[in-house]
Amino acid sequence: MRGRSSVLCGLLASVAAAVCLCAEPPTDSLYQLPAQLTTQQGIRTGLDVDRGHPTVISMFYGSCPAACPMLITAIQVYEAQLDEPSRDRLRVLMVSFDAARDTPSQLAQVAKLHRADPGRWTFANAADADARKIAALLGISYRRLPDGDYDHSLIITLLDGEGRVVASTTTLVGDEQFAAKLRAATQPPTPGDPQTAPR
Amino acid sequence: MPARLLLALLLLPCLGTAAPEENPYRRVPAAEFRSALPLGKQDKIRVHSFLLQSHPVTNGEFLAFVTAHPRWRRGAVAAVMAGADYLSAWTGPLELGATAGASQPVTRVSWFAAEAYCEAQHARLPDWYEWELAAAASDSVRDARSDPAWRQQLLDWYSRPAGKPLPAVAQGAANVYGLYDLHGLVWEWVRDFNSLLPADADPEKFCGSGALDVQQKDNYAVLMRIAMLGSLRASDTGHTVGFRCARAAEGAP
Repeated sequence: MRGRSSVLCGLLASVAAAVCLCAEPPTDSLYQLPAQLTTQQGIRTGLDVDRGHPTVISMFYGSCPAACPMLITAIQVYEAQLDEPSRDRLRVLMVSFDAARDTPSQLAQVAKLHRADPGRWTFANAADADARKIAALLGISYRRLPDGDYDHSLIITLLDGEGRVVASTTTLVGDEQFAAKLRAATQPPTPGDPQTAPR
Repeated sequence: MPARLLLALLLLPCLGTAAPEENPYRRVPAAEFRSALPLGKQDKIRVHSFLLQSHPVTNGEFLAFVTAHPRWRRGAVAAVMAGADYLSAWTGPLELGATAGASQPVTRVSWFAAEAYCEAQHARLPDWYEWELAAAASDSVRDARSDPAWRQQLLDWYSRPAGKPLPAVAQGAANVYGLYDLHGLVWEWVRDFNSLLPADADPEKFCGSGALDVQQKDNYAVLMRIAMLGSLRASDTGHTVGFRCARAAEGAP
């Protein structure tokens, strides 16, 4: 019995190894962090959910009265400046650090409220330990206040397809440099260059 | 029967050497605490009872960790989680060498690496308030912060030139909780190091007029900690930045 199950485990392991052809992300990639996210569809995934696409990533919490809706709108304004094929290549990942209140159904509400393109936008939450690490990677500080609100900084970060930081901004509206980097990162990949967005 | 007894006697010394627990966790009881951080309308913060390691994690302890966890070895660690200086005082990825004694505090570790070490111990980094509460104690009282002699002792350490080899851990006196080296040896990572100041705080203002928002302006030693931690990124390492781990106390608060 034991022998058979260990053979089975070995088989399963080799199948798993064969199925996962994904290469280790580069050493300077944010996708090195093994964080667990839960999306608005209730799907468990990692920070690399949009790997292969240039991705805008930021953090928020759903019950945030003003700053977070502004943050989401700001990203929508930045992506509205792209032409359609470029925008189609872009993904957006919004991570909530308020996993207790931002349940999948709550996240789905936020997505709907902002009419975020469900094909390209992911709203997800992360448990406290992982949220802290994601925030640390992005240089975002947040602190839970006694009344349940959060004091947090607003930083929008652009990653290339492999999860490396291309640009970031704390300017919600009109950071021309960031907009230019976003345009460049969402250009069609040139033949012979496998990178979606070289550093 | 005699042979078995002999074997048992031979094994006895081996068992004996393994007995003392390395870097034991000490209990810090719950407290209402006046923090140096701005608390808004609140006057005091409530800190639940917790456990804190008695001294900073040593090179020897960290070597055991990276031996067991290859992805945290120098050269193998992801660049995004530890800068180029990570563990640079060591001779090799698995070798301490002459400049990094096994009982000296480990430094040149990033926040990510410190957090990973603690997680491997089923622990975590302490929160700032926990660290600040533990570090307010002298060897005789739980809150020595208004004692001028104790303050002076701290400032003497902060004014000592850095760069000399670090002494071994737990050489001085323990505080009332049985904790060593909260001052006088290394700076220490805390779990919420990047969230100590309000998000809109301008670091320049913090050193100038903005510092007026901080309570206990004369508690320089602690304010320097806050300013130093606030200036770091999670992948940074420092020659004098180490850490120790914390756990929730059973039955807290």
